[in-house]
Amino acid sequence: MNTETTTKKLDAKIPDGPLREKWEHYKEICKLVSPANKRKHTILVVGTGLAGGSAAASLAELGYNVESFCIQDSPRRAHSIAAQGGINAAKNYPNDGDNVWRLFYDTIKGGDYRSREGNVYRLAQVSNNIIDQCVAQGVPFAREYGGLLANRSFGGAQVSRTFYARGQTGQQLLLGAYQALSRQIEQGQVRMHERREMLDLVVIDGRARGIITRDLVTGRIERHVGDAVLLSTGGYSNVYYLSTNAKNSNVTAAWRCYKRGAYFANPCFTQIHPTCIPVSGDYQSKLTLMSESLRNDGRVWVPKKKGDKRPPNEIPEDERDYYLERRYPSFGNLVPRDVASRNAKQVCDEGRGVGETGQAVYLDFRDAIRRLGRKAIEERYGNLFEMYERITGENPYETPMRIYPAPHYTMGGLWVDYELMSTIPGLYVLGEANFSDHGANRLGASALMQGLADGYFVVPATLGNYIAQGGLDGVGTDHEAFAEAEDKARARLEKLLSINGDKTVVEFHRELGKIMWDYVGMSRNREGLEYAIGAIAKLREEYWQRVKVPGEEAMYNKYLEFAGRVADFLELGQLMAQDALHREESCGGHFREEYQTPDGEALRRDDKFAYVAAWEYTGDPAHPRLHKEELKFENVKLTTRSYK
Amino acid sequence: MNTTKRQSFIKSPVGKKILTGITGLGLVIFVIEHMSGNLILMLEGSDAYNAYAHFLEGLGPILYLLELGLLAFFVFHIVLGINIWLGKRRARTHRYVKYRSAGKPSMQSPSSRSMIITGGILLVFLVIHLVSFKFGPGGPLHADPAYVTTVKGEVMRDLSKLVLEKFHHPAYAFGYPIVMLLLGVHLRHGIWSAFQSLGATNPRLTPGLYALGGLLALLIALGFLVLPLWIYFGGAA
Amino acid sequence: MAKKTMTIHLKIWRQAGPDASGRLVDYTVEANPHMSFLEMLDVLNEDLIKKGEEPVEFDYDCREGICGSCGVVVDGIAHGPQHRTAVCQLHMRHYRDGDTIVVEPWRAEAFPVIRDLVVDRGAFDRIISAGGYVSVNTGSAQDANNLPVPKPNADQAFDYAACIGCGACVAACPNASASLFTAAKIAHLALLPQGSPERQLRVERMVSQMQVEGFGDCSNHAECEAVCPKGISISAIARMRREYVKACLAGG
Repeated sequence: MNTETTTKKLDAKIPDGPLREKWEHYKEICKLVSPANKRKHTILVVGTGLAGGSAAASLAELGYNVESFCIQDSPRRAHSIAAQGGINAAKNYPNDGDNVWRLFYDTIKGGDYRSREGNVYRLAQVSNNIIDQCVAQGVPFAREYGGLLANRSFGGAQVSRTFYARGQTGQQLLLGAYQALSRQIEQGQVRMHERREMLDLVVIDGRARGIITRDLVTGRIERHVGDAVLLSTGGYSNVYYLSTNAKNSNVTAAWRCYKRGAYFANPCFTQIHPTCIPVSGDYQSKLTLMSESLRNDGRVWVPKKKGDKRPPNEIPEDERDYYLERRYPSFGNLVPRDVASRNAKQVCDEGRGVGETGQAVYLDFRDAIRRLGRKAIEERYGNLFEMYERITGENPYETPMRIYPAPHYTMGGLWVDYELMSTIPGLYVLGEANFSDHGANRLGASALMQGLADGYFVVPATLGNYIAQGGLDGVGTDHEAFAEAEDKARARLEKLLSINGDKTVVEFHRELGKIMWDYVGMSRNREGLEYAIGAIAKLREEYWQRVKVPGEEAMYNKYLEFAGRVADFLELGQLMAQDALHREESCGGHFREEYQTPDGEALRRDDKFAYVAAWEYTGDPAHPRLHKEELKFENVKLTTRSYK
Repeated sequence: MNTTKRQSFIKSPVGKKILTGITGLGLVIFVIEHMSGNLILMLEGSDAYNAYAHFLEGLGPILYLLELGLLAFFVFHIVLGINIWLGKRRARTHRYVKYRSAGKPSMQSPSSRSMIITGGILLVFLVIHLVSFKFGPGGPLHADPAYVTTVKGEVMRDLSKLVLEKFHHPAYAFGYPIVMLLLGVHLRHGIWSAFQSLGATNPRLTPGLYALGGLLALLIALGFLVLPLWIYFGGAA
Repeated sequence: MAKKTMTIHLKIWRQAGPDASGRLVDYTVEANPHMSFLEMLDVLNEDLIKKGEEPVEFDYDCREGICGSCGVVVDGIAHGPQHRTAVCQLHMRHYRDGDTIVVEPWRAEAFPVIRDLVVDRGAFDRIISAGGYVSVNTGSAQDANNLPVPKPNADQAFDYAACIGCGACVAACPNASASLFTAAKIAHLALLPQGSPERQLRVERMVSQMQVEGFGDCSNHAECEAVCPKGISISAIARMRREYVKACLAGG
């Protein structure tokens, strides 16, 4: 692989001034669009999750004409809905010493110092407004008996700053945004397009001016023109085939933007969540997350002996290896996500994994039940235990849970500047789809915060700064760029349908997922990554010769949708491996085996890699061009995370 | 409420059910009153029964007013019931090949599923019943000296005689109880449902109301069906 | 476990489009007891694709029971026989080797079939659009703790807000009524002070929209509660009716 490095500097457009004043200062100087002029502008918002839904609603409230698109049958079903834990904010209601600085600091440290100070500080600043807004919408957050909001603590923080709505915080926040969006739909300010998939971005005179979509019911290819495009299409964990993401989550919209000139940043930064229900067979279609909170009382262990197939309760105490407690005496079972995941993989690779597949470790509540009583455990985790039993058919009160890590979130994404604008003017990227705020590792309860921050508060301010510059007249869907993009999209679908090979889309996807999981997963090395790059390229070639896609274009055809998405994953996977290969350090979710301390911990190399790797598409998937955005840390000191 | 609002209330899914519930409960009160009258014949004899009927007739304009109200309740209840049934048919023209209840906490039952059928039978019965008794021999529009009696010096209709005669016919003696059982079936769902339609339920109250509704329905059915059987099997002799 | 797989006979509703007539088609699939119901359908589809036949279309997304995308009627029960479980979390271990299962789409005029088991639930979105929100523009909110909400109210509001909008309530209702869905949102917002200013308008408009969409009227069968994956109580419907009466009386 040759990756060219150019000297072209990526300008993140971080406002001048002290960290605490940057956002306020920006809002003072950014250009505004008058109400009379907002009416004249159409904004295309793709995706209706926390970021897209909140952005579409807020922009419509401001007076823009908004066209909103989602692949589901309703904007209420975006995958944000599945987030369980909570949302962080620096309210300091518990009076435990929290403030904006601490939330900022925890987030940037948790991200292993691979994110921008300016962005993260702004995120912490607007976090409080998010809670206010959501409560005003009627989001039923958990409350204390006094009627005020309750908080709980989450990983990576020493304060209780997480607001939650039982185990369905994402759902409740999303429904809040969905309802705000519904109100704008009723008022005619938003035109909603359900069951539409974005197939391409239309760039005219170097600016994002439209999108090509496919109506998933009729198969019709459509053109939509606007003055700006907001991409809020989530993450790409499904490149691993098995992940905690919803089945329809995909990279296609972001990938087509990448191929139109938007840079893709830090694609190798992925989060593997340690507590998921393990794979039970080849037929498995997705993985289910169990809340991280289980590690508060559960003890993680595997047998000391390799291949010990005895039932867990028959394995005596002295033949069990509580490996997290052994290796990390001070944090024990509560080490951060990346550390817990990596260790689970290690013991399984040693042949000590449990269950039918050997790809699982025990999470045992026996001691907690003895200590606190079954009732206390039931109160704390009752619904999680039920969910576990529903899926596995095993009773975790009696036999230890089996858990294994699973791809869960992607910190990488399209590169954006401080205004959330990508390298294509007029193309904004929000939420998980961008790379901006979580560095190399995301803390729990921060994804919801970022999605809503981007949609409710950041983009409504920054979009005006672009629209006000003008020069957006006179483009219609009859422009040749639309015709070109539409033809291309249609040709691709026709090509996929015409191959009529002997392997299904799912078979290819599973194969890709296995390569990604084995070589670009929890722990990576040069040899494996080099192999993966070649293997993915080969698989991609095979795909375009052997894939079998049923049905026709002009009909509801789920497998045709998947075919297009898997084709893009087959390109993305390669870029992820290339990025992982070039990043010769271990940080956050990216663990390179060559770069570890003598006792096996991540070795970050700030002197060489304290930058954002933004990849530019060159027309050849094998040879993307690397651009670096140096990260400047003026307010925090880079330290090494230690959980020993 | 103004006129348009009244109209939209009657047509709205919620308004319809509220009115069905109110009229339904009104009719329940009526049947309880009617049942008590029946029991007078059984427990206190013909004279008391005739006197009771005579007392009601003696109310004159008040009775007409009550009857008018009762008629209105019936009409509303029936029209709304049919309307809801038609709406249900329109809302699902393509039926399931296989359909069954998921069980508790569903309150779906043969009773709840057959409201239109039991209701329809009750309507037919109502007409026959009115023709047989209220407008039968000795009643309004049908003067018949054979059905006149004197109780405590007062001349009055001998309704008791008519009842005893009718219920010596097997068709009446057994048809009536069967219809009354169907009334019970109708009320098994109806009573509870009326409270739910009026919004007078909550998770704690509902199970109790449901049980109470069932009990009341049973008692009403029993209260009605004992009389004809008692007469037929010679209890009045 | 003696046998690792189980043979399942399926009778699945196939319908090419909204206006096409449909029919039940027989299939046989080898399933694993650990599979979810939808994974069993995935396996069937892989088979069909390889054989050159058209796969069965059905809606799904999160496959963990929260997005509300999936939903089919399994042997006459919406989401299948297991209570409080969306069909994506129904597992095949609840079936026996050799069982025959009938699979049909949600059936209601307001939910027209798009293809096979996929239906259009846009009516639900329009009911929410009619008033299922609090009118508060971004940025105009006061501090969250300025508005205390008694914990029992907040908890109950959550119970109603947990609705995933899957449409099982309509599918299971003998009348194809959308009362539980509509009432859940009305009850959620009516229980909170934030929802109070618009409560009258909300209930009137949402109820009216429910009717416009062509759903049937509620006859209090409570079947909806029994099939609801979130177990939402029909007390929501009672509350909607109280709200409605109050609105009518107050409206003058």
